[in-house]
Amino acid sequence: MRKNAYFHLALKDIYLGFRQWGLAYLLGVGDTKQRYSRSKLGQFWITLSMLIFIIAIGVVYSFLFHQTLKVFLPYVACNYVIWSWMSASIIDSTTTFVQAQGYIKQTSIPRTVFVLRTLVRNFISMGHNFIIIPLVYLCTQHPVSWTIILALPGFLFILACSFFSCLSIGVICTRFRDIPQIVQAMLQVFMFVTPIMWPVTSLNESARVIVEYNPFAAILHMVTQPLQGIVPSLWEYSLASGTFLVLMVLGLYTFARFRARIVYWL
Amino acid sequence: MVEILLEHASVEFSIYNARSRSIRNDLLKRVGGHIGHGVNNDRVVIHALRDINLHLTEGTRLALVGHNGAGKSTMLRLLSGVYEPSAGSALIEGHVSSLLDLSMGMDPEQTGRENIILRAVFLGMSVAQAKALVPEIAEFSELGPYLDLPMRTYSAGMAMRLGFGVSTAIHPDIILMDEMISVGDARFASKAKARLHNMMDKAGILVIASHSSDTLRQYCDRAIWLEEGRIIMDGPLEEVLARAHGTG
Repeated sequence: MRKNAYFHLALKDIYLGFRQWGLAYLLGVGDTKQRYSRSKLGQFWITLSMLIFIIAIGVVYSFLFHQTLKVFLPYVACNYVIWSWMSASIIDSTTTFVQAQGYIKQTSIPRTVFVLRTLVRNFISMGHNFIIIPLVYLCTQHPVSWTIILALPGFLFILACSFFSCLSIGVICTRFRDIPQIVQAMLQVFMFVTPIMWPVTSLNESARVIVEYNPFAAILHMVTQPLQGIVPSLWEYSLASGTFLVLMVLGLYTFARFRARIVYWL
Repeated sequence: MVEILLEHASVEFSIYNARSRSIRNDLLKRVGGHIGHGVNNDRVVIHALRDINLHLTEGTRLALVGHNGAGKSTMLRLLSGVYEPSAGSALIEGHVSSLLDLSMGMDPEQTGRENIILRAVFLGMSVAQAKALVPEIAEFSELGPYLDLPMRTYSAGMAMRLGFGVSTAIHPDIILMDEMISVGDARFASKAKARLHNMMDKAGILVIASHSSDTLRQYCDRAIWLEEGRIIMDGPLEEVLARAHGTG
């Protein structure tokens, strides 16, 4: 097949996938229900355990890094909730197609539907956890600034990044079943080099580069900084946009090239 | 316009974790597709379908004949668009419904009602259309109050009734079946058969894979005979059946 035919079919898949949005939504909601079926708190169990974790980390680290708790706790809450969403989306994308093999082997529904399903499932989960942030803000009497509206495009931005990274990670992990473990291990590393549980100011000048050139930090800050009354810097917007472009090109390329092979690899 | 056109279509699977086979295994092989090697002899390749040319137009009633592993199911999946051919081309025009797995997409934790919607959306409906379908299927499946219980509480027969009810509620252009479906007890089975026939009559193209000559005679007029993933005969049903069973 010709090169542009691959590309054309991939775009058609994405277009049809978005048109079947209702199916992706039903599947995503179904996944959430299934995971916590017959449990009283359901998804809120995760929220509860996350809240406990955030309070524990917030208190301990505020002493460790000599921070005032009233400022540091909201900081950790924002970062951790959004980071968990990002990292869970990435980990989930490794099994996007493998998990859907029962469907993919039986019908020709667009592969994009399953990518969207992964996004829906993780967005629902984040939506539950997000309650932690206003809760913490209320308890610490953290001020709310107008910049909060900048967080909205930030959410869309993270969704778009997740979409394209899911396209490429999903395809690659279907072919090479060892990659999911590598992805998980790498995410753990990134969690520690990204300013989630420690303040940037605790780094000395020479070490600042690990934040400045960290694409995860830039993307994270698209949401977390506006929530805390800070407008992300122009540099961070550029770095995040650059990362998005790379993810988009990689995602579209791998998906276009190997979309038809997914079913053969399952 | 309902049409299926396969040109030199092949379906090949690379098996990355299989040892290369021995000559002895080769000699003993009686069923299945052709097993070959990759370009560099480093992996095993299964040629499930090889160089298939097939043209189906409106009104075709096609039977797939062949022993186990000859490629009938793979053929159905190629026709449904599940497999895009690894070589050659496949053009499929029209809405395909494969009655291969009636309960696909159903979730045991959700209620019958929710599953009707889920399954119908899988079959290509919008959520609103799917919701409108619920009363009709509720009546057909005769599940009554069970419809509001999670599907895990259903017996196998009850789950089949529901899956069958939804799968036959739409009227696709192309229907693909692996063996004839039968559901439920005697009374329900006849009702189901009438519903299925109604659906089959409205379809532009019908393809059935079956080992039962009687079934095929009832619904089909043309047949292809598959062996080791190749079409070795394509013609009127009776002629193909005679040859296939005569040598087979």
